[in-house]
Amino acid sequence: MTRSRIDADKPASLLPGTLDMLILKAVSLAPLHGYGVLLRIRQISGNALDIPQGSLYPALHRLDHQGLIATEWGQSENNRRAKYYTLTAAGRRRLRDEAAGWTRLATAIDAAMRATSEEV
Amino acid sequence: MLARLRSLVGSLAQRRTFEADLDEELGAHIEQYTRDLIGSGMSPEDAHRQARLELGGLNTVKDECREARGLGAFDAFQRECRYAARQLRRSPGFAGTVVLTLALSIGANTAIFSLVNTLLLEALPYAQPERIGTLYARTSGLESAEARRTVDGEQWEHVRDEVSSVVPAVATTGTSGANIRAGSVVRYVRAGRVSARYFDVLALHPVVGRTFAPDEDVPNGPNVAMLSHALWQNMLGGRTDVVGQSVMLKGEPYTVVGVLPEGATTPLEADVYTALQPNRDGDGRAANFRLVMRLRDGATWQQADAELHRALSASSRFQNFARENPGTQLNYHAVPLQQAATDTLRPQVLALMIAAGLIVLIACANIAGLSLVRMLRRTREITIRLALGASRWQIQRQLWVEHLLLAAAGGMVGLGVGALALRGLLQLLPERFLPVATVTLDGRVLGFTLLLSLMTCVLSGVLPAVAMGGVSLRSSAPGRGVIGGGHIRLRQMLIGGEVALTVVLLAAAGLLVRTLIGLQTMPPGFNPAGVITAKVSLDDVRYHDPGAFRRLLTESLSAMSRIPGVQSAAVALTLPYERAVFNGVKLGSGKEAGRTISTNHVYVTPRYFETMQIAVLEGRVFTDADGPDDQPVTIVNRSFARKFFGEESPVGRYLDDKVLIVGIVADTVLSAEGRLNPGTAPLTREEMVYVPAAQVTDSKMLALAHGFFQPSWIVRTAAPAGVPAQMQRVLSNADPQLAMSGVFEMSDLMALALARQRVAVALLAVMSALALLLSAVGIFALVASVVAQRTREIGILMALGSTVPQTMVRVGRAGVITSGVGLLLGLILCAVVLPAMRSVLYGVGVYDLPTMLAVVLTLVAVTLLATTPILRIARIDPVKALREE
Repeated sequence: MTRSRIDADKPASLLPGTLDMLILKAVSLAPLHGYGVLLRIRQISGNALDIPQGSLYPALHRLDHQGLIATEWGQSENNRRAKYYTLTAAGRRRLRDEAAGWTRLATAIDAAMRATSEEV
Repeated sequence: MLARLRSLVGSLAQRRTFEADLDEELGAHIEQYTRDLIGSGMSPEDAHRQARLELGGLNTVKDECREARGLGAFDAFQRECRYAARQLRRSPGFAGTVVLTLALSIGANTAIFSLVNTLLLEALPYAQPERIGTLYARTSGLESAEARRTVDGEQWEHVRDEVSSVVPAVATTGTSGANIRAGSVVRYVRAGRVSARYFDVLALHPVVGRTFAPDEDVPNGPNVAMLSHALWQNMLGGRTDVVGQSVMLKGEPYTVVGVLPEGATTPLEADVYTALQPNRDGDGRAANFRLVMRLRDGATWQQADAELHRALSASSRFQNFARENPGTQLNYHAVPLQQAATDTLRPQVLALMIAAGLIVLIACANIAGLSLVRMLRRTREITIRLALGASRWQIQRQLWVEHLLLAAAGGMVGLGVGALALRGLLQLLPERFLPVATVTLDGRVLGFTLLLSLMTCVLSGVLPAVAMGGVSLRSSAPGRGVIGGGHIRLRQMLIGGEVALTVVLLAAAGLLVRTLIGLQTMPPGFNPAGVITAKVSLDDVRYHDPGAFRRLLTESLSAMSRIPGVQSAAVALTLPYERAVFNGVKLGSGKEAGRTISTNHVYVTPRYFETMQIAVLEGRVFTDADGPDDQPVTIVNRSFARKFFGEESPVGRYLDDKVLIVGIVADTVLSAEGRLNPGTAPLTREEMVYVPAAQVTDSKMLALAHGFFQPSWIVRTAAPAGVPAQMQRVLSNADPQLAMSGVFEMSDLMALALARQRVAVALLAVMSALALLLSAVGIFALVASVVAQRTREIGILMALGSTVPQTMVRVGRAGVITSGVGLLLGLILCAVVLPAMRSVLYGVGVYDLPTMLAVVLTLVAVTLLATTPILRIARIDPVKALREE
């Protein structure tokens, strides 16, 4: 009963190595605080992706450490002080590279999976 | 990369903010998620629990966030530090000994390095100092390496006109005392003569006015002067209209053309500079000019060397040298001014630095030994930790962290010790000891101390670390008598090495002490007690007239001897413990009759020998009857008589064909500072020729002598109070334009002559005492730990019938053998190292038997003292020791 909302959506587990890319994508759309990143990824994936919450913050700190995202303190929707993450120029470059790489990989896997016996 | 570093530094620097932000961020997350869960119909309690659960362990997440920032290693290091500090607090004896040892050795090094830093590393206070050079000559094929750093007027002309790769300038070799008068103010100043462009070479630009123009720097040019900033301020009130004004200098009007910037100094360190106006002969037909030059843009020093050599070898001085010394080679070249300025001090300072370095090695050996023992005591702890799954690296890391903490503490305390030592050292140094600036603990010194501390950490930590590598799970039987046998041999080697180094330091210090004692106890040849002297410059055109000179002496001396309490008064061109005029004299008879020899000359007034209480060995002293028109007479000292007349008496013979020798007096001590031969002692007893002041009738001679030397007025008194002021009054009355350089007691002047030696000896003595102390601590700790570790073994031996003395000998042997081997090694080292000291030893051989005996005896005494832990053996109860077994 407690997990009803999430269970109902049956989120897919995250592919290894894609968390950083997803965070960068989420943040590229608008400045977000940590919880906002979580919601945004869920939203833009059509509730298909759910991030393990324990990995979110270490990932954010890692990206900040690498200079891919920047932080500033602001007001959240419910008037609380919150840390907002925005994409830096380096982050934008990284996102572009990762997205391109992902598309290549996905296309290749997709093509491979569509193969029929005649094509072999 | 840069971003990561910035992020790490940022989170490190604002660690508290970072942690608070992290708490707040995670707290906000849980809160928002909880709210959303409640919104989806969950009960508040469940929602809160669920939110926390999904985030995972809060501490784990935080740790991962810290790790992401690169903070993890720092946190681990901090934990290690705290743990190490706790461990060290538990053995305060060990920690205290190590920190103290480090502090003393690092302190000694910091103080000495500050000197090295200032003297040898700090650049001279001129723009682009590496482009400033001075002249040296290297001789080959000559028996004694004679340094020729000066040129005469003719050579200067060659350099000035033929060398194009440098901007050359020239100055007198030193300053001389002179009187300067502006209005009614009279001052005794240090005057130096410099050529045009001298200040350009040093890149010093006057704050007021200009420097000397080339057309002023010619023989018989105008009298022009430049003032130091300090003299301008305190004599002329810093008035800017000083340029063009006239001051009376050396009895003549000089026009002030410029003022040097505040704090600016030249190698001459003069208060007043006048144009050199060089003549072809140099001053007094000698090489009395010193070159400085600045490399022109685009030129190289190789070019300059070649040009200098070519120009100088065209001079008659060079050709005379080549003629007189066949088979020798004289090569002129430029050396950096920095190097030249610190030339005489460098060997001493470097020797001290080496001594200080030895101290650090000794300290590290000691600490290594101590922590080796500590390591053994902790074998149990280490094996337990190994058994519990700690990796060797983790245990090693902990050891290193402990050493790092100790080194940091030692370094910090050492810096304080060094600052104190430096303050003491600077107070010990005579004024004007350092040719450049002030000695401070600057960034470079701090960096040195930091590096040194790290080095001690590594040096003292390597052995224990290696030893720990040998600890295995199987060595978990601590307390067995056999444990650490190999380690004790290792420590014996360490301490033996320490002792060897200590022996070298002790021997070096001993030799220097013997040299100093020899110099200090040299019979002065006169009685300094109650002698007060005052120097006055007679470098004054008015006193080029021998009549005026004689009148001044007669009038001032008769007034001075009337001062209450004054027993007698005299004037001498130079005093004992100073240098004298070196001049030629033709021998009239004796072994080398007809030959002209160079020897020390001094003019004195009749009562000089009485005033100084110099013994008259034969003949008579000068009297007032030895006037300018009478028979020229002279008195020689004993060395002169012995050297040139041997057994026969020179009294009644002639010098220079017509000067009658009327007496022989005792030798007095002279300063040898600045002598060409670097191997001479700072004080010597040499041949000396005395002439009556009244018979110096050549005005050129007077001008020349007073250009280099300032005569001293000397009184002997039993009641010195008030005498200096009276002497000043008498001299002012005799000539209001004369100023004294100051009044000194003869004994102070004598002490000053050996000040540099005393400093060097004191420093080396302190350092060898330190080394001895450290070695004693090492031996003491060694014996003590042997006793402690072998308590059971000793108990068994005694139960089997060994007597206490027998056992003591058995155990004490470790310390005694260590020390003995160290001593032997040290003596061998001495044979290798000490000959390098030969140039600073006078009257003492390198293998001086009394010194070596003293070193050996000291070491034996210290070893015996340090072996006292064997006395604890008497308290061992064999029954108890056996029961524990």
